[in-house]
Amino acid sequence: MTKIVRTAATEPFKPMPDDDMIVCRCEEITKGEIRKAVYDGMSTTNEVKRWLRCGMGLCQGQTCQKNVQSIISRELGLKIPDIGQITGRSPVRPVVMEVFANDVLDVHEEA
Amino acid sequence: MKRHEVLVIGAGPAGLSAAIEAAKNGMDVAVFDENARPGGQLFKQIHKFFGSKEHHAKERGFNIGKDLLKEARDLGVKVYLDATVMGIYYDKEILVNHNGEVDHFKGDTIVIATGAAENMVSFKGWDKPGVIGAGAAQALMNLQGVQPGEKILMVGSGNVGLVVSFQLLQAGCQVAAVIDAAPRVGGYGVHASKVARTGVPFYMKHTVVEALGEDKVEGAVIAEVDDHFQPIPGTEKTLDVDTICIAVGLSPMSQLADNAGCEMKFLPKKGGNVPVVNEYNETSMDGIFCCGDVAGIEEASSAMLQGKIAGSTASYKNGYIDEDEWQQSVEKYRASLEQLRTGMFAPQNKGRTDMTETDEGIPLSKSLLAKGYVTDEELAEFPACSTKVSGVHPVIECTQNIPCDPCQDACKFGCIKVGSNISKLPVINPEATCTGCGMCIASCSGQAIFLVNEDYEDGFATVALPYEFLPLPQAGDKGKALDRSGKPVCDAEIVSVKSSKVMDMTNILTMKVPVEYAGTARFYRA
Repeated sequence: MTKIVRTAATEPFKPMPDDDMIVCRCEEITKGEIRKAVYDGMSTTNEVKRWLRCGMGLCQGQTCQKNVQSIISRELGLKIPDIGQITGRSPVRPVVMEVFANDVLDVHEEA
Repeated sequence: MKRHEVLVIGAGPAGLSAAIEAAKNGMDVAVFDENARPGGQLFKQIHKFFGSKEHHAKERGFNIGKDLLKEARDLGVKVYLDATVMGIYYDKEILVNHNGEVDHFKGDTIVIATGAAENMVSFKGWDKPGVIGAGAAQALMNLQGVQPGEKILMVGSGNVGLVVSFQLLQAGCQVAAVIDAAPRVGGYGVHASKVARTGVPFYMKHTVVEALGEDKVEGAVIAEVDDHFQPIPGTEKTLDVDTICIAVGLSPMSQLADNAGCEMKFLPKKGGNVPVVNEYNETSMDGIFCCGDVAGIEEASSAMLQGKIAGSTASYKNGYIDEDEWQQSVEKYRASLEQLRTGMFAPQNKGRTDMTETDEGIPLSKSLLAKGYVTDEELAEFPACSTKVSGVHPVIECTQNIPCDPCQDACKFGCIKVGSNISKLPVINPEATCTGCGMCIASCSGQAIFLVNEDYEDGFATVALPYEFLPLPQAGDKGKALDRSGKPVCDAEIVSVKSSKVMDMTNILTMKVPVEYAGTARFYRA
């Protein structure tokens, strides 16, 4: 892992003209919010995801992850492997609760 | 809980091929796909594939999909559709959302063949309706029969961007431009050329900076970029488009492999975060395989071969074939895979910008990489492009080393030779006589072969070209001949239109042009 040079922690947050651009469409998270999260101390893709919910919507990060990562990596001067990937975990696709409820029914039917 | 020996996740080219191979060896196989139709991306692919005969070259993607599906079903493979695999658990148990109900399956082997998803770029207004992925455009056109828009800006000049641009033109859309932030066209030159000759401009070193419009795309602002891919102020151009199509690469959908505990690695050359696989497509988890785009972005033909290697290895590990059979089949598939991984677009050459000449030592066309078409002067360096031959003869405008050889099989008279290294440029045998049958034109997946006859009539030549647009012109129609850049250069009259089943929807238009345009007229517009 590359040593993090935390210029962000020592310098005040500098707004940029395109900070209002939405990066995560599902959760409507802007570039400015992601940059701000880095200034607030987040330094990995998973941390930013938990902090802002970007990557927790319908696409589960399939659309936005690379763009979120490029913003974090640019702010911190790190490479992508250093800030990591969103953890792949079940369910890998969003599932409505009804489906899980149907699981119980299915077991009873088979029994 | 249901049981199958092999659980294949994803019914695309890799998954179906793995399933077929395992089922052929006697295994009980189930395939799961989250879509209502199996086939993965194959059913969107209406163009002819490259490669050699064993790689299904010159067959159209959707037909390959149909054949794979039939083969799988005939072998007794169970295909579950609308079946989303949500997770992989201990001892090869998977959890499936099947038609809105949870189903549990258990297997001895799991093959993850989940493919890839499209990358997106974010720019001002990119979240407006009308900004779509190239795959979405293909789904609309080729599966649903809906035009994605009327005037399209294509962002990305890789093979996906080029192939989809051509398909948009076929669907009756206008393509305002193909742009790319890179300085060179990323995809096959032949794909670029067939788009460029219809008149679509290419802007390399350009990016999209804004999608204009209130509630939907009503225009696009593009700008030139500097060496750090930053837009150069003052170079902005506004294009009148209603759709912005994004084709900027793919990312492996590898979450299930991560979830299953496979060792993962971020490899930019493979498109992102991928499971580490060995030469048999096995992951670090015993009995879990990954093949196709999920293990690294390539294309459908190599995905099919990876699937076969995985299927064969699973058969051996479970005692369905012996070691000799396994090694023999793997050797065969690997040799075939190596053939596909040759030439200037091979995975090991990805991102290289230092190539200046072909394997034959001919300078690569700079114009092709910058504008999408080869200039007359550059073409003169390629022996197969000579027009100074009497009578009808093929002109093969194939200027990059791409693994593809259907042209040499197509000519029954031995006019065209590629040889056993299928990435070599085709050469024309001066001893053989061309009969003008046109089979080579129809067989060329890159639509790069023309038949030229300078001795047609006093002062007039004919140029026969591949044509895959509707309405199909009729003999006697008069229009304009376009050059390689899509510029109208002279009047043209259609003298014949040939279509036949073996040509598989590639029609051959023969147009009469003044003899001085025999070497430049390459497309027809009514």
